[in-house]
Amino acid sequence: MSARNASAGGGDRAGGGEPAEDLLVEENQSSSMSLSSLMSASSAAGVSLSMEMPRKRKGSIDIQDSKSASIPDADMEDDDNGSDGDDQHVKMKCIREPHSQIEKRRRDKMNILIDKLSAMIPTCNPMSRKLDKLTVLRMAVQHLKSLKGSASSFSEANYKPSFLPNEELKHLVLKAADGFLFVVGCDRGKIVFVSESVTKILNYSRAELIGQSLFDYIHPKDMGKVKEQLSASELYPRERLIDAKTGLQVQAYLPVGGARLCSGARRSFFCRMKYNKVSIKVEEKEFQASSSKKKESQKYCTVHCTGYMRSWPTSQLGAEGEGEADKQDSSDFSCLVAVGRIHSHSSPQANGEVRVKPTEFITRYAMDGKFTFVDQRATTFLGYLPQELLGTSCYEYFHQDDLPHLADRHRKVLRSKEKIDTNCYKFKTKCGSFVTLQSQWFSFVNPWTKEVEYIVSTNTVISQASRSGNKSEQSCKTSDDGKKSLPIIPGISATPGSMIYAGSIGTQIANELLDFNRMNSSPSSGNASPFSLPQDKSPQTHNQNSNNVPNGEAADMEIAGKSSPEDEPQGAAFSGGETLMGENSQMDLDSVVGPGLSSLSNDEAAMAVIMSLLESDTNLGEAVDFEDMRWSL
Amino acid sequence: MTADKEKRRVISREAARKRRQVESEVFRDLSRLLPLQPSVRSNLDKPSVIRLTLSYIRMHALLKVNFATEAETSQSVKYGDVLEGGEEVCDGGQDGGEKETEEATEEASGETQLHLSTLEGFLMVLSSEGDMVYLSDNVSKYMGLTQTELMGHNIFDFTHPSDHEEIRFNLQRMSEGVWCGATRTFVLRIKSTLTQRGRSTNLKSATWKVLHCQGRVRVCSAPSAGSCLLLTCQPLPLSHTLLSSHTFTSQHSMDMRFTHCDQRVTLLLGYSPVELLGRSIYDLCHTLDTDCLTKNHLNLCFKSQSVSGQYRMLVRGGGYVWVESHCAVIPSVRASKSRFRSYQPLCILCVTYILSGVEEPSLLLSLDQTINRYLS
Repeated sequence: MSARNASAGGGDRAGGGEPAEDLLVEENQSSSMSLSSLMSASSAAGVSLSMEMPRKRKGSIDIQDSKSASIPDADMEDDDNGSDGDDQHVKMKCIREPHSQIEKRRRDKMNILIDKLSAMIPTCNPMSRKLDKLTVLRMAVQHLKSLKGSASSFSEANYKPSFLPNEELKHLVLKAADGFLFVVGCDRGKIVFVSESVTKILNYSRAELIGQSLFDYIHPKDMGKVKEQLSASELYPRERLIDAKTGLQVQAYLPVGGARLCSGARRSFFCRMKYNKVSIKVEEKEFQASSSKKKESQKYCTVHCTGYMRSWPTSQLGAEGEGEADKQDSSDFSCLVAVGRIHSHSSPQANGEVRVKPTEFITRYAMDGKFTFVDQRATTFLGYLPQELLGTSCYEYFHQDDLPHLADRHRKVLRSKEKIDTNCYKFKTKCGSFVTLQSQWFSFVNPWTKEVEYIVSTNTVISQASRSGNKSEQSCKTSDDGKKSLPIIPGISATPGSMIYAGSIGTQIANELLDFNRMNSSPSSGNASPFSLPQDKSPQTHNQNSNNVPNGEAADMEIAGKSSPEDEPQGAAFSGGETLMGENSQMDLDSVVGPGLSSLSNDEAAMAVIMSLLESDTNLGEAVDFEDMRWSL
Repeated sequence: MTADKEKRRVISREAARKRRQVESEVFRDLSRLLPLQPSVRSNLDKPSVIRLTLSYIRMHALLKVNFATEAETSQSVKYGDVLEGGEEVCDGGQDGGEKETEEATEEASGETQLHLSTLEGFLMVLSSEGDMVYLSDNVSKYMGLTQTELMGHNIFDFTHPSDHEEIRFNLQRMSEGVWCGATRTFVLRIKSTLTQRGRSTNLKSATWKVLHCQGRVRVCSAPSAGSCLLLTCQPLPLSHTLLSSHTFTSQHSMDMRFTHCDQRVTLLLGYSPVELLGRSIYDLCHTLDTDCLTKNHLNLCFKSQSVSGQYRMLVRGGGYVWVESHCAVIPSVRASKSRFRSYQPLCILCVTYILSGVEEPSLLLSLDQTINRYLS
């Protein structure tokens, strides 16, 4: 024991190396300097707070008496003083926690710090063995001295030191912000100052910019906006401000020029600024001047400017004498001091374009398959203008043969969070021929309500519209016919009339989903059919699966893990009394069901039923399966 | 026996005391070398001294790289001088304690303050392990805790647990050798000890403050400073900022359906406020921007404030504009007429800045733009 203690330079770094008594001695240094450093600055150094815990150990009482807690250097004497207020706080709370634990934690923290320090110091690094605490500290002192070189020590009272030299900090700020600082006069927009970093961002040199008017560098359409932000005119006597607490707009009835221009009035706006594509050379400048007249060669980038207004009395301005031109007793020189940041990291236009290949276009469907958004690229491939497609059901354009498959996909996508791929299918173009498309669908779910808002479809054109032989022509003909026997899609009643039929496919699928949700949310109605009304009204009841959710879903549920057999719709789906409730892991919609469907689809569905009722009387179409007609009432 | 033991105890105590004195001496030396104000220095405990030393060394190494690669500093002209017609002595950080430099430094510090206050945020330099290597001194204005209290600590000790993954993700990308120029932007919740009145309490009663962090990676190969993330951290205030005519505000229910809209939207997007009520913002944006809006929405749900990136809003009758929205969740001011009285009514407030003109005005992309939509 004594041998260890006797080693003077040896640090007491290692955790278990100390005799217990030393520990006690150290612990009893009560000054909770670490805690006070985390509390408000008013707690003075060395004040011993009442957090001192009475130590009841043998042999320690005299030690406690001899040490006074209010020695200013008490903090230094204590090796393992807790570093965090949290630590001390824990100490306060958990009186029962053994001191050894607390001390161990402190020591560990200190050791970690010492290790980090030794890793940082070049002279420590090559050492093969682990250095003790004191040596590391001494080396750190040496290192710091060498870093500072001949610089004065930071001990002058009148010198306000900052951790980083200001020059560097300034650069750092602008680098982090990816921006530049600029000061422009309010009256004419003259650039009074701009920081060096502007070169990196807009590719103009400082010399070029200082003294110029800011408006020369702003997109023509944004000039009004910027003028407004700079101006002091009477056009805007009432300021539109936002109240931080309520978030509402507040009308501030202040005298003109009062709050607007007072120092501190903040500004925040976006504007498009010119940037220079090529490096600046004197000869080229002339070329640039002429070419900049053409709009297409001028590139703009979006800059977010945030800053505040400031004014200086003109008397301070000396030679520069800005302010109201020609006036001697002018008011203050007011200007905007702002930082302009480039907005390149947010998803810019380019991103969107890149993601979609030239043979792709995007469409959006409502839940029932109606187009609600059509990318302009679609026109190239489909011939229709977006507005011609909007509001119509996608099923009207799908080739008959593809209807079952796509209906199945439609069902699937409404119930799944994943992207669903379709096979290749034919889509009718404006001129009547078909293009082959392949699509990837996913249903977009509102993050808050978890309801499906719409389906997004990325469509790839596989082959252009071609009159590829008889088959397409024949199918063209048949689709016009409307009286041919229509393919049976599981779960969809085959009402005659292709247009209505097509439209109703989508609405029925959408309705299925709604109803399924409803049933999901009310588990008690598991067996009983929740759709009393249509049941009663339906004149024909063929299918015995009246108690279940539409049969079409059976196919869906089963296929959860399987590879898709959706190409064979006939017969595969009508599986007898299969219960479908609650099994599907794909069902990830919450039970919150809102009126997601627009009323349009309900009308459509109603109309389809009416038509089918009318026509079924005359027995024109196939047997109508009213079990599978669902709509929300 | 006992006397012997007692003697040994005394010896060991003395030895320990001596050791501690020596150590304290070294710590004092170290702290004197750090650029701190005297009052701050006397308050430091030992771990803090080490933390600050680490930061100092790291920043030094980081900035050395800076100066090596940039030769621009020789041309710096301060704004103050422009007004006063003077010029600054170039301060490359190497000068000794000359009077001129001190004055320049005084002014430079003012200029730095200008930078920071214009930005309305503070600077943070994060190491790849999440240590807050450097924080600008105005951090106390936003977090309550001072620069010296925080510097060197790990950011994970001060941020909301749910945000840790996102932070880790941003830090990881950095250490994988992603070069300078990679920008980062994310929102996180950090502890703040500021009270409503702007005073500082202790860490126990800290509240969460939402910060928007933007910045870039700075790669440094020196062993004493790894790659760092340079960030500016700004609270997301909707403070008294003058809104330009190209900005409109809107209120939404939590699912992003409009509940109220500023009149300006008519001029900017063509819809009347009434037409927008009950409509979801997802219907009004370009489909390719769905991801951007979803992320924004999720940020709002979890962190209560968010900045969307740039996205496109569809203009009534055709075309679209690029916009950016700054949003926050606030308690709903209007009396709640909703039937869901069980939970506190919250709403989302958005300030949307229009960035571009109307592009492709003849292009009708969406059902929501068509006139027919609004006839019913």
